[in-house]
Order: sequence, then structure tokens, then C-alpha cells
Amino acid sequence: MKKTPTKQTVILNLLLTFSTLVSILPMVYMLSTALRPNGALYEFPPRFFPSLDAITLENFSFVLFQSTFYLNFLNSVFVSVVSVALAAIVSAALGFILGKFNFKGKKILFALIIVTMIIPGTTLIVPQFELAFKLGAVNKLPWLIPFYVAWVIPFSTFMIKGFMEGIPNEILDAAFIDGADIFTIFFRIALPLASPAIASVSIFNFLTAWEEYPWANTVINDNNLRTLPIAIAGFFGQHQFTQWGYVFAMSTISLIPILLVFIFFQKYFVTGLSAGSVKG
Amino acid sequence: MKGRKILALLLIVFLSLSAAYASGAKESQDTKVETIDFWHHYSAQSAENKTLMNVLIPRFQQENPGIKVNAVSHEWAELHNKVLISSSTGSLPDVARCDIAWLPEFQKMGILVPLDSEVPDFEKVSSRLLESAMSTTFIDKNHYALALNTNTKILFYNTKMLKDANVAVPKTTDELVAAIRSLSGKNAKGQQTWGWNEPALSGWNLCPFIWTFGGALTNADQTVATGFVNGKETVQAIETFVTLVKEGGITGFNSGDIPMTDGFGTYRYAMMLEGPWKTAELDGSYPNVEYGTALMPTGKGGSVSVLGGEDIAMLKGANKDAAWKFMTFMTGEFAQIEMAKSGQIPVNKMALASDTVKNAPFAPFLDAIKTARARPTVSTWSEIDNELNGAVHQVISGKKTVRSALDELAVKMDALLK
Amino acid sequence: MDSKLQSNKRQMIVLLFPGLLIFGVFTIYPIAKLFLMSFFQWDFGSMLDQEFIGFSNYKDVLSDSFFWMTFANTLAYTFITVPAQMLLGLLVAVLIHEIKRLQVFFRVMHYLPVITSWVIVSLVFRYIFNTEGLLNYFLNNTLNVVDGNIRWLDSRWSALSVAMLLGIWKGVGWNMVIFLAALQQVPSDLYEAAEIDGCNAFLRFFTITLPSIRGTILFAWIMLTIGGFNVFTSIKMITGGGPAHQTDTMLTWMYYKAFSTGKLGYSASLSFMMALTLGLLAFFQFKAMKDKDMEAKNLK
Repeated sequence: MKKTPTKQTVILNLLLTFSTLVSILPMVYMLSTALRPNGALYEFPPRFFPSLDAITLENFSFVLFQSTFYLNFLNSVFVSVVSVALAAIVSAALGFILGKFNFKGKKILFALIIVTMIIPGTTLIVPQFELAFKLGAVNKLPWLIPFYVAWVIPFSTFMIKGFMEGIPNEILDAAFIDGADIFTIFFRIALPLASPAIASVSIFNFLTAWEEYPWANTVINDNNLRTLPIAIAGFFGQHQFTQWGYVFAMSTISLIPILLVFIFFQKYFVTGLSAGSVKG
Repeated sequence: MKGRKILALLLIVFLSLSAAYASGAKESQDTKVETIDFWHHYSAQSAENKTLMNVLIPRFQQENPGIKVNAVSHEWAELHNKVLISSSTGSLPDVARCDIAWLPEFQKMGILVPLDSEVPDFEKVSSRLLESAMSTTFIDKNHYALALNTNTKILFYNTKMLKDANVAVPKTTDELVAAIRSLSGKNAKGQQTWGWNEPALSGWNLCPFIWTFGGALTNADQTVATGFVNGKETVQAIETFVTLVKEGGITGFNSGDIPMTDGFGTYRYAMMLEGPWKTAELDGSYPNVEYGTALMPTGKGGSVSVLGGEDIAMLKGANKDAAWKFMTFMTGEFAQIEMAKSGQIPVNKMALASDTVKNAPFAPFLDAIKTARARPTVSTWSEIDNELNGAVHQVISGKKTVRSALDELAVKMDALLK
Repeated sequence: MDSKLQSNKRQMIVLLFPGLLIFGVFTIYPIAKLFLMSFFQWDFGSMLDQEFIGFSNYKDVLSDSFFWMTFANTLAYTFITVPAQMLLGLLVAVLIHEIKRLQVFFRVMHYLPVITSWVIVSLVFRYIFNTEGLLNYFLNNTLNVVDGNIRWLDSRWSALSVAMLLGIWKGVGWNMVIFLAALQQVPSDLYEAAEIDGCNAFLRFFTITLPSIRGTILFAWIMLTIGGFNVFTSIKMITGGGPAHQTDTMLTWMYYKAFSTGKLGYSASLSFMMALTLGLLAFFQFKAMKDKDMEAKNLK
């Protein structure tokens, strides 16, 4: 059954290269379109790569210097980073208590948290808007954060709880005996140990906050408070006229942070997910 | 180590939140200045928006030192939805630029301020504006807005494509149909071309055809549709339209079609019926395309295009004095002439008589406006529009004949018009 | 000792509090409100007089042919994209698991679609599948396999297929990562023992690998099903639901009813029917896996 290692490896690598191409082809096309002038987009014949003399940076320069893109970018960064940080803490706390302790009503509480995942988030827009209005949260950027955090709590708690359950109780018991209180155990032991799971859910949470469209679109009005997805969609479809070059230039730039986050947290990803999902 | 990291993170979170909060709170402390929220749908990158932000609002604020205007640009359909959802929570803006088609719906919801009874100098301000435009603001028994700008659609034709196909600019509907046929097919590069582009199948798109062919959507009172939307002329209009679509003469309403401006600019669409905003778009992205304009070709019903435009309305809960001052300013001669420079057709009589307007590129539109008609001003218009859209789509996809689709539509419309 | 217990209890509550507060206020409250409102006459027009109308909204939804069409669209979308992306994701995970070098590179490349926002990838796909766009040109002029341009986005099932293709393409990376993690958990001595017994690669996969990652499969299955029902942005960006609502899914239809026609009561009841369907599906998926569990145990 053992093929010569090199032959098998070559086949595997070939297959993977093919599927990699399929995966990234649309993004390459997007980048190549961003490098072309707006009017060249429906040229004939359509080209995958622009001819060298047709490459232009005008779309990028417009997006970076003339629109409110810079602001939208910062808005997205602010909301995403804070949401992720807050979600990490509260979900880790929930996951810790639900995963490591038993108390009356624990099962029901956990079930309640999880079961809300079957309610599509978009359907809650109207009651959430009423809530936002009551709280004076309409058109205020920081108020996106609690909504996003609430959104991701179920999944994050689920994953972190699973991981926490995998932590041997002996470690915690030992600390208990030594006289540590719950806070100490949580902050000094459980949290660091669970960091792979926290890192991996944070990647998902960052992505959720970074690309969220329906809710931000509903609750944010001012141009300079908008997040990236709304800014991008705003260039699309005005009077049947889409400025694809700008759209794709913005899209390309907005990919960079999430790519960085992913690469940075990448190593935690696999270990963090394994315990969370398998045990779950 | 991790614990400290977490605490640091918490601190950052707390600080950012409070910073953001503080910046938000600071604004409201400034009680000497009143801020009014103005929602509109001038496209963010457009010349109109630049005029608004760089010329009009600064001038207004200069003339009215105690008032600040917070203008927000929304996409057209989004603005409609946002007004709806904001109405449910009372977080409406003070002033909004509304498509004339939305006014009956908004009025029914009770979110518009009846200006003629609430504002003392309404008569004075509104008398400076075109009566036909002001008619769009009269619903039930009151005026609920001021006309802000008007527009209509006229024929844009691609000069080169017509010349190459040896087609003259059509003046009658028969000539139009023939022209569309001649201009459709394959061009020298082997690409498909279409004689006509129609970007959607709503009332805004179909009404010029329906009315020009002599048909109608409803009776004059807007209470009955049967006999009108399925009347002989309307059926003929839709029949002609659908036939041309099936022959490959008309396209544009499909998700996979080249967008209108791009297609016109790359010599794929020969003709279209469009408004004054098109000139700016074409000049911006396709400055080398030569095109001309003409009135909607004449048919049995004359040359009838569809009247569009926007009104400026005061919404419930607004800061009345400040809002009214702004509305007066926007409909005043200065603002109207400035906006005219960006392609917005004014409704202010003095502005219309000015040289700037007389020499403006939208002069061809002014003639069309004289014969243009408004869509039904009923509160259920968006539902009727949706039904119309669906009906014509069904005919095009072959699911129904024109006759049966329009008959069914008439029944639905009768119910909605009650 | 007692005071220690008390203080520990207090600390537990403090730890639970922020999460539960945020969750309670921003998720539970809106859900409860939505549920309540689904039994009322609730639209923008009648904001002031909302009367209790019982199950009337639910009846409206169930008797609406458009609802059933969007229901069919959503089911088709889910039942095609979910298995497809799971299979492909598992396949890629297996491939990556076997190679020694370049693992990280391939992981990142395949994950790229996942981390790109729906808005962006939908626009890219819309541009590629434009009737006069790149794909048609490729098929028509370069490969010459078709005559004339295919109108991918103009009719119901064709456009939905594009949306499905998009959904699968975008989801493979997510599945890959999940399954990679699971694959790495399978103890290698199981494989070694099987090899010694003369098991070939294929058999090993079906008798050892698959059963061992059963939990992960169920997890992915349920999460992806929920995701499938939630399809919204891609439809909005690619077809806007058109032509004439033919490609609307339950969520885009709900959005239209709520915001363009102001029928909030209808939307609320539609939301809960979606939730109910998802709940039932999850329940059956759970049972299916449990049965497989029994089967596997019996086989042993």
C-alpha cells in the first residue's frame, strides 16, 4: 500500500495546488480589476490580467485619499478590536463557569445560550433597532459593540466551554487547595490555558464584526461613522452605475487586516478548535 | 503574565469606550447651536453632493449662525427603508429629501408635517415654486412638502452606433421599434448589442411606454385599474415591449446584464431613456462617447415621459423653525441655481428664468417636463409597483400572456387602490 | 470555610454577570420582543394601534406562495451547499494532513475565501458571471464549448446555482480547518494497528477516520445548516432577490416584507418559523448521528 513517498507527495501537492488556485482565483481577479481604470471594466475582450500599460493606481489613490475610506477603515478596526476583546473575556468567563462547575440550572442556562443560535440574526433587526433607540444607541459607533458581542457569545462560549472541560481538574484543585479564589484561578490558570480556544474564536469573532453588514447599515447613518462593508456597498448600484474599480480597490485594502489577524493567530487555530468542536 | 495582558486589554476597552462616549457627549453640550439632520440621496461622489456640502450648507450656516446642518447621504432605496425604520422609533431626521413617489406612503404613516397649516409663511415660500411640481406635495387636504427639484427621462442615443447602422433618431414609436431592431445584433467585434436598455421593469421604466402608446395604469381618480392597466393600449404597449425583449432588442433588467452606463459607454446599448444625472455619469466614466438627446418618440398618447423629482419634507418631531429656514433656503433662488449647475432641474420660478438655467445642459429636459406625467400618487404605490414588476417578468419568462398577466394585475390593483 | 464558599459563589456570579447581561439585553430581549410582536398587527403604518391578532400573521405566511418559493430556495441552497462544502473541506483536510511540507501555506490559501467578506466575494462573483463577463468569454471564445453567452444570473435556478457555487467555494476553507483539527486528534496507533491487520488506505478512512471524527462532522453539519438558512448578503448582492423575487431566500424575503412593505408582524412570524425549522433539522441531525453511533457500536 505504500507508494513511493515522492510519487504520493507529488500527487497530493498537485491536487492541493489546483484547489488553491480555485480558492484564490476570484481574489486575484478582484485585485487585477482594482488595478484598471473604471471605464476599462467592460472592455472587449475581457482580460484576466490587465496589460502592463493599463495598470493604474488611480482607484487605490481615490479610495485612500478622496473618500471617507480612511475613516470607515478606522471605524471598522475600532469596532472589531473592541468587540473581539470584550467577547473574549465574557465568553471565556462563561465558558469557564459553565465548563468547570456544577450548579442548579446550569444545563438550562447553557441550553438557552446555545439554542438562540437557530434564530437568524438578521431577523432581529427591527426589535434590536427599537432597543437601540430606547438606549440612545442609534447612529453611535461604540454601540455596535455590545450587539456584536451578544451575537458571538453563544458560539464562543460553546467552543471555550468545550476546551475548558478538557483542562484536567487536578490543576484547578491544586490551586484551590493552595487557597486561591475563583478569580485567581480564572485569570491566572484557566484563561492562559484556554488561550488557543480563545484565539481561534477571536478570529471568527473578528471576521464577524469586520464584515457585518445588515445591522451596521440599519443603525449607522452618518457617512463618517460607517464601517467598511457599508462603505463598499455604497459604491455599488447607484442609479445602475457601479464603479467597480473603486469597489474592488476598497475590497482589496479591507482584506489586509483580517488577513493579518488570521496569520498572526493562525498557530492557535488548529489546537484551539480541536478540543472545542470534538468535545462539543 | 496572561492575567496582566487581560487586564491591560480590559483597560483599553474601557478607555476606548469612554473616549468614544465622551466625544459623543461633548457635541450635545453645545446648546447654543441647534443641529438639524438632513437625509438625502445625492450620491456620495456626485457633483450635487459636493455642491450641497461645499457651497450650500456653508452659505446657509453663515446666514443662520445658530443652526448647523448635519447632512447624510443614503442610497436611494436605503433612504426609504431608513425613514421607515426610524419612524417606528421616532428617531427621524428633521428634514428629508424624498422621492415624490414616497410622499403618499409617508403621509399615510403620519410622519410628515402638514406645512400649510403648521408654518405661517408657507404660502409665500411655495408660491415661488412651479405649480406642477408643488402638485406632488398635495395629499388628501394638505401640502406636506416643498418641491425641491424635478426631472424626467429623455432619449439618449449613441451617435456612433446610430450612424454605423444608418438609423435616424426615431421620432415616432413606429420609428423607435424599427430603430431598436436595426440597432440590435452583433457588432463588428462580434459582441451582442441592444437597441434599447431598460434597467428595470417598474412603473418608472414602463410608464413612458404605456402612456405614449395611449394607455394608462388607472382612471383619473386613481381608484380603479380594470379597464386601464389591462386596456387595449396598455396591452399593446407591453406587448411591443416584451416582443422586443424576446427578439434581443431590449435588455438591462437582468442581474447578469452589463450595467446601463457601462453598456452605453462601451457601445453595447444604443439608446436609453434617462434623466439629467446621466450626463454627469457619462462625462465622468466615458468622456469619449458621443451621444445626443431627444424627446420620447411620439405615439398614440403623445410624447409622454415619466415625471420624477424630489420634494423636501419636514418630518415629525423636527425642530420646526430651523428646519423651515433650511427648507426655504434650499428652495430659494441661490440654492436652486447652484444645484442647477450640478444637473438638478430647479422648481424655483426665478431660477428657471435665469441665464444659468436657460443655458444649462438640461435644457432638453425642460421641454419633456411639460408633457411628462407623474406616477399614481397613492399610498400603496410601492406594492402596486411590485405587482407590475412581477407581472411583466412573468410575461417575459413566458409564464403568462400579456393579456392574462395584465388582467390579473388589474384585479390586484383594484384591491390596492381601495 | 463558609465565608470562603460564599465569596467563591459571589465570584462565580461576577464572572457570569457581564456575559449574561450583554446576552440578555441584546439578544434575549429582542428575541422575546420579536416573538411577542409576531402575534400582533404590526406594521409601520399602524405603529400606534397594534392589536393582538393571535396566529393571524403565521397564517398569512403559510398561505403566501412567495413564502413557499423562498422556503424551497432556502432548502435547496442548504441541502446542496452543506454536504458539498463538507465533502470538499474534508477532502482538502485529508490531503493537507498527509503532506509534510507547505501545510501552513495551503491552509492559509484555502482559508482566504472564508475571511473575505460576503459583500466582496458576492460582487466578484457577480462580475465574473456577468452575461458579458469573463467566464462566458472564456467558455465561448477561448474554450469554444458553448455557443453564445449563458445568462447565469437571469433566471431562478441558474442564479441560485451561482449563489450555491459561491457558498460552497467560500465554505470549503472553514470545513478544512475544522476537519484538520479533528484529523490531528485521531490517535495514530489506531491506524498502525489497522495497517498491521492488512487494511488499505480506503478502508482505514471509512472504518477509523470517519467514525473518530463523528463529533466534528455533526458539529459542522449543524453549524453549516444554520449558516445555509442564514444566506442573505450573497443573494442581495448577486440578484437582489430578482427576477421578481424568484431568487429570494427566506431571509431576503423577510427583509423585503419588513422594510419595503412594512409588514413587521409577518416578518416576525416568518423568523420564528425559520427558527423552528432549524431547530427541527438540528434535532434530526442529532438523532441521525446518534443512530450511527449505535450502528458503529453494534458493529464492533
